[in-house]
Amino acid sequence: MKRMAFAVAAACAAMGFSAGALAQEKTVSIAAFGVKSGVLRLFGLNSEAAVSAAVEEVNKAGGVKLADGTKAKLVMQPYLDDRCNAEEGIAVVRRIVGTDALVAIGPTCSNVAEPLYGILQKKVDDPKDTGLQFPILTDVAIKVGLAQISEWSFRNVPNENTMYSSLYYWLKTTRPELKTVYGGVEEDFAHSRASWHVVMKERAKANGYAVLGESKWLLNDTNFSTQVREIKKANPDILSIAAHPFTTCGILKEMKRQGVKPKLIVGLTSTSSEETMQGCPKQAEGMIIPSSFAPVSKEAKFASQQTAKKKGAADLHSMAAWENVFILKEVMEQVKISGKKDPASVQADRRKIRDGLAALKTTKGLLGTNKRTADREADKPYVFVHAKGGTWQVLHNPL
Amino acid sequence: MEFYYGLAQTIGIHTLLGISAYIILLTGQMSMAQAAFYAIGAYTSGMLTVLWGWHIVPALFAGAGLGALTAGLVGFPALRVKGLMLVIATLAFGEGIRLFFFNFDYQVQKGNIRVGPLGGEGFRQIRFFPENGWTSAEVMLFVWLFVVLVMALVWWFDRSRYGAVLRAVGDDELAAQSVGINLTATKVSAMTVGGAIAGLAGGLYAHYTTHIEHLAFGVVQSIFALAYPIIGGLSSVFGTLAAVIFVQGFLVEGLRNLGDWRNLLFGALIIVAMVVRPSGFLDARMLSRFKRGSRKGGAGA
Amino acid sequence: MFDFLQAVVDGVLFGTTYSLIGIGFTLVFGVMHKINMSYAAVSIGAAYAGLLAGGLIPGASAWVVFGFALAFGGVFGYLVYLICFHLIPIRNENATLMSTVGMLLLADELVSHFTSGSPQNYPAMVEAENLRLGELSLRPDLIVVFIVSVMCTGAMLALLYRTRLGLATRAVAQQPVAAQLCGIRVVRVNAITFIVTGLLGGIAGALVCSAVGTLSILITGPLTVKGLIVTVIGGLGSVPGAIVAGLMIGGLENIFQHFRGVTERDLYVMLLLFAFLIFRPGGIFARGKGRD
Repeated sequence: MKRMAFAVAAACAAMGFSAGALAQEKTVSIAAFGVKSGVLRLFGLNSEAAVSAAVEEVNKAGGVKLADGTKAKLVMQPYLDDRCNAEEGIAVVRRIVGTDALVAIGPTCSNVAEPLYGILQKKVDDPKDTGLQFPILTDVAIKVGLAQISEWSFRNVPNENTMYSSLYYWLKTTRPELKTVYGGVEEDFAHSRASWHVVMKERAKANGYAVLGESKWLLNDTNFSTQVREIKKANPDILSIAAHPFTTCGILKEMKRQGVKPKLIVGLTSTSSEETMQGCPKQAEGMIIPSSFAPVSKEAKFASQQTAKKKGAADLHSMAAWENVFILKEVMEQVKISGKKDPASVQADRRKIRDGLAALKTTKGLLGTNKRTADREADKPYVFVHAKGGTWQVLHNPL
Repeated sequence: MEFYYGLAQTIGIHTLLGISAYIILLTGQMSMAQAAFYAIGAYTSGMLTVLWGWHIVPALFAGAGLGALTAGLVGFPALRVKGLMLVIATLAFGEGIRLFFFNFDYQVQKGNIRVGPLGGEGFRQIRFFPENGWTSAEVMLFVWLFVVLVMALVWWFDRSRYGAVLRAVGDDELAAQSVGINLTATKVSAMTVGGAIAGLAGGLYAHYTTHIEHLAFGVVQSIFALAYPIIGGLSSVFGTLAAVIFVQGFLVEGLRNLGDWRNLLFGALIIVAMVVRPSGFLDARMLSRFKRGSRKGGAGA
Repeated sequence: MFDFLQAVVDGVLFGTTYSLIGIGFTLVFGVMHKINMSYAAVSIGAAYAGLLAGGLIPGASAWVVFGFALAFGGVFGYLVYLICFHLIPIRNENATLMSTVGMLLLADELVSHFTSGSPQNYPAMVEAENLRLGELSLRPDLIVVFIVSVMCTGAMLALLYRTRLGLATRAVAQQPVAAQLCGIRVVRVNAITFIVTGLLGGIAGALVCSAVGTLSILITGPLTVKGLIVTVIGGLGSVPGAIVAGLMIGGLENIFQHFRGVTERDLYVMLLLFAFLIFRPGGIFARGKGRD
């Protein structure tokens, strides 16, 4: 009881202290949120570290220039945890809307992003639509086709269609002896399911592969003997797995036990993370995944280092959060935000930022230039990474 | 203000869910299936407003009706099992319904997009409120209108013969039977009412979040539905309200400032609540103290 | 046809993990007439603690990790008893159920916090490819799990039927008041039951994680649900019932998956449970009047 009281007092003191310090200078506030509990905790920790590190860099370079020419310090509000739960995601964004934050970076989960975008105003300037008018620039939630839900929602996530199309094309040209593809998919998780049925399968077919079928399992399945037997029977050259680290490791371990070894394994974008290396480093050896991040350029290495200082790992998800901070700083200066704290100005600034984001044709990414599409998505440069010796290393850099 | 309206909406919807479990708990049946009726209400009202353009009020009642029907049907086989076996049976039923929705596809073409539930991907764009210009304050009042009506209904039950019958069955079935109470009718009716309220709550939930999917209607949701009346106490429906405010207002939102501590404290504080007040926040003793207090105050004035 | 047989064999072997968890649930129920909802979560927690402890010793084999998991399981079991059952009046069923739910959330969150949510590689007991029995292939590690769980059941039954403690436990299970009148300290028996099921849980958690290959809190939910189903189908309070039911559910799961695919599989398991509850509420080895 005492300890809790102390913690509450400390938190209050910290908030009071920071409020006091900020009163002296001009500030521009952004919010960030995502998952920091349960099985996806790592995503939130990494994004938080990346945003925090990026904000520090922006401030080191002088901060954000306001409409009246003065510079303001960029402030990140404390990272909020939505627990991958739609109701909490909505509560978190509503809470953010009530502060002076001009824009939010998040969420982590696609099943939070979908309801969240749904409560935003669908079309700007629609007087009959009482949806929230607040811009969101998403870093992680990657399920295909979400940003089109609302004109206030923007995403800086890789385009899986482009990446897998390119990967299969590259495989066709560099490994022409591989002709057949078989899929493995987590059927009950929105992202994985869409990634196989809509992306991987179609792109493989489009590049001339014979898709022999797929094996399905559920997000928290633990027994994969039937599925691996199906894979064995299909005997594909390439096994394309659309699943997250837990079940991916499960399938790989079962494959080892049954002696099933396809010539090549392709994985899901999210699987190219630390988690897989913690769960099954040996079995994942050789898996190829397209990723919109690898420390191949100077900027990428720098971002990686700075994020590591904040105890976060750099991967395609957290580095999108890093990029987001810089994109927002550019947009804020372009649209000349006022930085004033009265509610009318804050709302006007939010609208300006939204319009600025919508007008962007390209943004600076860590691997090169990201293109912005008409439906508010991103088209990011990518590399192919593979698991080697317990880490993810760049296999092919098409840049 | 948006945040407070939203929080009030969440508390309202969860209170309805809690009351649905409360009514059934009064008869001594612990139902872990409330999330199933919640889901049925959610999908039904969602489909009615999105696919067939119904107004929200009849859609909500349809959701409640279907929830009631399903609950009534479950009520009969539930009679054969008691106590903890019923917990597991209802848990299994709840999971069964969730899996049904996981496999449920029903889409129609609307303009240039397809709308409707799509199995594992869920059911998106249930935007009746924003599309019809409802402000957050209006939605909040709408939700609370139902909460107040349901709470009044249940409070009235408690003061009428029906409430006494429910509690009699909950306390001692044999004694209740020996005074001529029809066990079947009582238990099944409680289940049905519970199902209706949960269905209503589900319909409101669907329109509040605009996107529903099977994962939102799992065991955890059913556990929360039961947690509210247990933490709140079975003496009065206000106990459930107090518990919802405690869990959603304090534990989920209030502790958000504590960052990581919040998640650890969540489970810990529930344990503490149960150890410190095992009969719930508002148990019989506390209730009689309130009643005595208000009577004294009234007499004094 | 052959695939079908293989599916059954695979499923039955994996079902041993369900049996282990089922035994824990059913024992606590048999003695205290309460369900400990946090059992699977705390068992996974013990397995994780075992992994951490084993990691401190360089070059430790899998069995060292299991040993630690066993020990931690016992300790955690006692803590759960103390916090969730000892401090709450025994007659209050709802409160103890809810407090174990709180404990389940707490256990999950603690493991998530320390692992940052990442799956942890768990050592396998037997690192070998499948054995071949003619055309069928069998997982050697699951066979070891099976043997271990049979041994555990044997030890449990020996404890229950051949020791004074077991006698006291059965007495308390049948008639707590009469047992107290005979001088048996009910509180002590309850505590020891929790310690023993905790030990079993620690081993079960370690074996499950080892069979799955990775430790993650994603395992907790389904394991809890399946454990409860196994407990009910096996008969609340019946240890041999839990074993048979676990194997049965494991096999049937795979059969359902074979015929109707993975998305409908669990639906049929639920229907099966329903059927049991309606037609045979006492479980497979029905103990006369189906006790609630």
